[in-house]
Amino acid sequence: MLTSKRTDRALPTFITLLVVGVLLMTFDVRLEGGGVVGVLRSGTQAIVSPLQRLAAYAVTPVANALDSLSNVASLREQNAVLSAELAAAQASLVAVQDQLARLELLEQIYELGTDEEVVGRTIANVIGAVDAALIIDKGTNDGVVAGQPVIDTNGYVVGTVRSASTGSATVLPITATREGLTVLVGSQTGTLVSRAFSSDLGLEMDLDIFDAREPVLAGDRVLTSAASTNYPAGLPVGEVIEDASPESTSLATTVRPFVDTESLRFVVVLAWPPDPVTAVTDDTVPEEETTTTTLDEGASTTTVPEEDG
Amino acid sequence: MRGRTALVIGLTVVIAIVIQTTLFGRLRIVTPDLVMLIGILLALTRVRTEAVLGVAFLSGLIMDLLGASLIGLRAVVYTTVAFIAVRTKERAELGRVTIAIWAGVLTLVGVVLLILIGTLFGEVSLLGEDAVSRMILVPLANLAVAGLLAPTFVRLVDRDRTALRYP
Repeated sequence: MLTSKRTDRALPTFITLLVVGVLLMTFDVRLEGGGVVGVLRSGTQAIVSPLQRLAAYAVTPVANALDSLSNVASLREQNAVLSAELAAAQASLVAVQDQLARLELLEQIYELGTDEEVVGRTIANVIGAVDAALIIDKGTNDGVVAGQPVIDTNGYVVGTVRSASTGSATVLPITATREGLTVLVGSQTGTLVSRAFSSDLGLEMDLDIFDAREPVLAGDRVLTSAASTNYPAGLPVGEVIEDASPESTSLATTVRPFVDTESLRFVVVLAWPPDPVTAVTDDTVPEEETTTTTLDEGASTTTVPEEDG
Repeated sequence: MRGRTALVIGLTVVIAIVIQTTLFGRLRIVTPDLVMLIGILLALTRVRTEAVLGVAFLSGLIMDLLGASLIGLRAVVYTTVAFIAVRTKERAELGRVTIAIWAGVLTLVGVVLLILIGTLFGEVSLLGEDAVSRMILVPLANLAVAGLLAPTFVRLVDRDRTALRYP
């Protein structure tokens, strides 16, 4: 235990650690979360997740009790729950219609003979959170891998799996990702961007439609598009909260996501696409029925025309 | 740093990380940053300065790896806060209240640094949508926790029952 005589080394140590930290940040940005960085994340999660699971046994009842208390104390909260249930019922109705359209689309893309292809689902508990990211208690042992889409129990889009270890995974919500999400509003395709990366922080997201043909109205539902590489088509994302009309050929408005990530207790991880290798390498789609599009997610993919999605 | 001291610090950091990512990850109304606070309070102990900085860096790095933000972001911020804490601890050791305020102010510096550096690297969302309110709540929560636990923590690490006892 030394004190004053050795504090002279504090500054060099501090500067060294700062340099290492900045280098790590640079590597993370350059590697885009993959490579060594991904391995480090998975390794750390694998070590800490057993402790988190253990802690969750004690934490969950406390958190649930406090949630219940806040619900009792506030009729507004109860009203919100009832509104959410109503929205869920409406979403279920639309989801069935969307699912039908999606299955037909998948049948065309993958040339499936039947409609029996079912997207695998893994139900997971939310055991914690770091910043905006959620930690769930399912990992690679349960078939959860990085990149898979995550929805809540009502079918609303939550986000994607950022990284996964054997016993846990980190989910990055759509409101916290810098990537745009390709969505469908009515018959128009647009891009949904988190406001966390603009000057106006908030729960809402910005919707931009660059090829707008008709206005969008408050209450219009926003669904994932078939042009998205990260999500199956037709999943409900949110609703438009401001009317907007096309200006020239573009349109911009605000969308409120259906999911409140802070109140999530369970999520569903979708094993999608069902066969990623086939989805990427499949060359059986007739060429005349496809268009090649560079998406906002930063990837290039081959899809059928938008009016089919 | 002796073995027992290292063990105590290591256990404390692990417990803080687990509590931070589970309990305070769920109860977002109560939002202390325990891991950052440990780096701050370690400055009050007799642990070597380099070790304090190292612990702050590693604990921040673990938080980065567990979350979805940039790796190294919290490591840099926690190390910076710990360094400021080491340099200013003499001003805090006047009493329990001053320690609490000192810890709160340093936490505020840390939260602001997180947002500033995060913005430079495109990670503004690391505190969630309500970043502004957290800039107030996190320092206040850390202030309260420091006021309650700082003396106990220092006595535990230093194995000195007389540490931070004020009339």
